[in-house]
Amino acid sequence: MKPWSVPLLTGLALLAALWGLASGAADLSLTSVWLGLVDPETPGAAIVRHLRAPRVLLAFGVGGSLAVSGAALQALIRNPLADPYLLGLSGGAGVGAVLAMALEWPGTWAVPIAAFLGALGAVVLVYRLAAVVGRRLDPRVLLLAGVIVGAFAGAMMTAVISLSTAEQLRNAFLWLLGGFSGASWSSLGLFAAWGAIPLTGLLLSSRGLDLLHLGDEPAESLGADVEQLRRRVLVAASLLTAAGIAVSGIVGFVGLIVPHAMRGLVGPIHRIMLPAAFVAGGTFLVVADTLSRTVVRPMELPVGVVTALVGVPIFATLLRRSLR
Amino acid sequence: MGGVAVRSCSPGTGRLSILAPRRLLTLALLATLLACGTTPPPSGGELRLQDDAGSTISLARPAQRIASLIPATTEWLFALGAGSSLVGRTTWCDYPAAVSAVPNLGDGIAPSLEAIVAVQPDLVLLYHSPVNAQVATRLHGLGIAALLLRTDNLADLDRHLTLLGRATGRTAAADSLREQIRRELEQVSTAPVEGAPRIFIVAWDQPPMTLGRGSFLSEILGRAGARNLFEDLESASATISIEAVVDRDPDYILVTAADSLPAIATRPEWGVVPAVRERRFVRVHGSEFNRPGPRTPAAIRTMRRAIEAVRR
Repeated sequence: MKPWSVPLLTGLALLAALWGLASGAADLSLTSVWLGLVDPETPGAAIVRHLRAPRVLLAFGVGGSLAVSGAALQALIRNPLADPYLLGLSGGAGVGAVLAMALEWPGTWAVPIAAFLGALGAVVLVYRLAAVVGRRLDPRVLLLAGVIVGAFAGAMMTAVISLSTAEQLRNAFLWLLGGFSGASWSSLGLFAAWGAIPLTGLLLSSRGLDLLHLGDEPAESLGADVEQLRRRVLVAASLLTAAGIAVSGIVGFVGLIVPHAMRGLVGPIHRIMLPAAFVAGGTFLVVADTLSRTVVRPMELPVGVVTALVGVPIFATLLRRSLR
Repeated sequence: MGGVAVRSCSPGTGRLSILAPRRLLTLALLATLLACGTTPPPSGGELRLQDDAGSTISLARPAQRIASLIPATTEWLFALGAGSSLVGRTTWCDYPAAVSAVPNLGDGIAPSLEAIVAVQPDLVLLYHSPVNAQVATRLHGLGIAALLLRTDNLADLDRHLTLLGRATGRTAAADSLREQIRRELEQVSTAPVEGAPRIFIVAWDQPPMTLGRGSFLSEILGRAGARNLFEDLESASATISIEAVVDRDPDYILVTAADSLPAIATRPEWGVVPAVRERRFVRVHGSEFNRPGPRTPAAIRTMRRAIEAVRR
């Protein structure tokens, strides 16, 4: 691990957070942003304290969580192309959210809760499917089960959407595209409540993830209970990703790219790589979200568009460098 | 396919024909004609009508059996006194009350061809969208005249009314209706409401969406004496930042749903907007706010009254 990695990552994270606080559809000077943070009475205070601050924090939290989940799943499936939505999570969440919108369930939190439950339902299905073959959750079987459940959920989502009105259809697609426009201190609290324990669980499983990477038999001979470890990682990664989807929809590329970038920067040992991935993923998503709300202001782009546009060239460069 | 109640050919007998053999016949006809490929629109008639897509059709005589798949044209046809010549409408056609007696052919966008053919129209009115352009081509191939109309804004009102008047052979009624609407519009669109309040139109709460000046609701708002907070946006609808709303600080918020409390009132992040916090909502609802039509002058009046009611 290069010695300048830690200062670099923390520095970038702080810069991104500051940029996120200072930018937005409203033209606020740096002084008014600073005044807004310290004094609630100033004109820009409401925007900075109640719109930008929770949004930057939420984007950071979700970005970091997606990166950590992605890294954990890549170790679990032993496949570098795994992303957090691999195991039917995005499909399940989509079905939940689309149903909540089509049936117009009341309450501000109806859609996030429905998405969360839908994602968890999908994971339970994947687990049951994979466990049929063997309780050790063979990675290839997990992958297949994830694809099947994802396809099933996708079909159900299409059915619900095709039967809904044009307006519900538009709203469903906009939600699925992902974004942080609904960020508030309440949604940040909700995300923290749902995601804190799974995140800690994943960070504490670092050694186990290192061992899983070696293969089942080497891992067991080195003392890992592979079955229990897999189950724990699966549950934690799914809960964490589901929490992220519930508050911000489906944001792609973060969970796929950031682990790879971090492996190149700080090495593959999870005890160091996972925290680095959290910080880097959070920074990436804060930057993407800030771009999404400033390039076409006062309009906003879906954040998934920005992560794809920014992430794909980065990924291509990483790929080329690793293959050389 | 949408529910189809098939009426007998001769108007006024009110007899329900037997569905099964006619449907089989329709399907066989469809299959044969589609197999022959598309043919140019019906021509060789006296009445030439040009639609919003730029194509021209010819009818031998004014249309007697019209399938109106646009709620706006359904209203116009009844206003012209041509309601009895309607043989089909969409689920969204809700005015006037007599429209419920007209067979419901389902959706207006990507409609069921079978349902349309089954009522044997001599003219079909479709909303001008890419999907419907294909439907119009298919109908032409089946020998049925179809017009594509974009009924989005008040500017189209005159043109469409003239077109419908000629299509139904009621040009006199169309002319007088046009004059009447013009007069009424002039009457209701007088001086702006004191102070020209700036109003934010909420199209959706999460993600935040509004309607720009290209939308019909924005036009009504303007004629009712207020200003759309986002009149600088050209498009009909757009996703915007809540920050932009806070920055521009609207005087009121326009809510078009029938609910007692709009969704944005309950969402925590919307509480940053003073108008939401203080519940300064202007509430209107009804389908007359969705489409330009004979009810538009009344809609403008209702809007104006709603704004003045909140100011008090």
